[in-house]
Amino acid sequence: MTGMTRPSPRTVRRLIGVLILVLWEAIPRLGILPELFIPPLTKTLHVLWLDRAIYAAALLVTVYEVAIAMLIACGAGILIGSIVGGVAGVRRLMLPVFSSLYAVPIVILYPVFTAWFGIGSESKIVFAGVYGFFPVMLSTAAGIRTIDEQYLLAARSMGASLPQLITRVVIPASIPTVLSGLRLGGALTIIGVVVSEMLTSANGIGYLVTKNRTTLDSPRVFAAIIVILALSVVYDIAVRAIERRTLVWQAAGRRDAGERGAVLSAQAAA
Amino acid sequence: MQHVANLTGERSGAAKAAVEVRGLSHVYAGRDGAVPALENIELKVPAGRFIVIVGPSGCGKTSLLMMLAGLRAPSAGTILCDGRPISQPDPTRVGVVFQEASLYPWLTAVENVEFPLVLKHAPRAERRERAGAMLNLVGLDGFGSRYPHELSGGMKQRVSIARGLVQDPPVLLMDEPFAALDEQTRMTMGHELLSIWSQTSKTVVFITHSLTEAVYLADEVVVMSARPGRILDRITVDLPRPRTYQMMATDVFGALRERIWLQIRTTP
Repeated sequence: MTGMTRPSPRTVRRLIGVLILVLWEAIPRLGILPELFIPPLTKTLHVLWLDRAIYAAALLVTVYEVAIAMLIACGAGILIGSIVGGVAGVRRLMLPVFSSLYAVPIVILYPVFTAWFGIGSESKIVFAGVYGFFPVMLSTAAGIRTIDEQYLLAARSMGASLPQLITRVVIPASIPTVLSGLRLGGALTIIGVVVSEMLTSANGIGYLVTKNRTTLDSPRVFAAIIVILALSVVYDIAVRAIERRTLVWQAAGRRDAGERGAVLSAQAAA
Repeated sequence: MQHVANLTGERSGAAKAAVEVRGLSHVYAGRDGAVPALENIELKVPAGRFIVIVGPSGCGKTSLLMMLAGLRAPSAGTILCDGRPISQPDPTRVGVVFQEASLYPWLTAVENVEFPLVLKHAPRAERRERAGAMLNLVGLDGFGSRYPHELSGGMKQRVSIARGLVQDPPVLLMDEPFAALDEQTRMTMGHELLSIWSQTSKTVVFITHSLTEAVYLADEVVVMSARPGRILDRITVDLPRPRTYQMMATDVFGALRERIWLQIRTTP
């Protein structure tokens, strides 16, 4: 097939996307699968439009919970991660503990959180905050620990004080790794909020999934799923934009970030 | 004892020592107890001289340089710079250029050069002017807005040199600054360094593994022994300046190189 240009990966991805949407509409319409399993896309969008007030209100609750949970996860993660990464004694003591905790399915603690904080927003926020905390904390610790010793030595030779070392070297040097942790941690808080809403709740998008599932109202379940998908896509776009903005200098430094990422995942696996 | 340094007043009777090391010894705690790293180092470097330190790996050259920079404290002895002791890094007296590009990848070339001035809270206009002048000096005019990853290895080390010189310290310490460069770039950089040095009249203490580089650059080569590091010999290189590449082919150059090599080789 000489002379034909290969379609770019971007085009292929779009085509696959369109194909999925077409199949989503066609499969139930053609009766290949019952509508209870997959309601047609148009029908799903239609109920989403009809119930837009309900979905908007639920989304607002979910977004509010996600926002607070992210603040907690990122704030506490960065703070504790810096201490664990920066202070050798604390690191030796705590890092193995945190690394193994990361592997614990924290969702098992959710019933405990509902007992402590009720079934309102508070328990979701705390649960999702804890859920998102670990990757932020671990990547911050890894980011600080893997800073090139030479950077610190050079700064000291130029007369940097300890606060200057931190603000001028440690923070900028660890930003790439910390950002990758924030991205993962943020995504986990969205999961945490939605899952906890699905488990025990009276509000939020996750609650709409559960509620409509029990009444076998598939179009409304899928409508809620679409809203959640949209939420995570928006989140991803926002984080990418922040990353692009912050990491101009990283354009060719991807190798470094890759190495640090590997350190992080090795640590998470440990 | 060659190292009882009285080659001092060679250039002019009034030349005072820019760097003076007295009775310096260093012992560090290793796995099996105390390890002597440096033993009784006496060194006087007259102002404006280009001194090169050579020695086998692990002879404590880098430790010595760290101490000269005030980055590490010796177990015993004193280091004077400009007649005053160095107890902590002081970039207005001693500039340091490290082995590998220790430039900050998140800063542009000019921001890297002005970094020491930022630490001192110098006004922005003054910083830019000084940093621009330094980039000009090292031949990087017009490259100020590039990030380190957009520069070649040689250019990065030029930026490092500019950064070391930006506060106009009388002394410049260089820890194998060209070790990571390929041979051609290395020779070019050595030549460039000599030209910068002749324009700035700094005292340079330069560490290297390359004997050719040592002889080519130095007024005087200090030969150190394997651990514990001691000064074995101080060799005056009386090749005329400015140095040229042709000098490397001369018998004098070869003889000096040979003399250093024999000292290092016979040290176990």
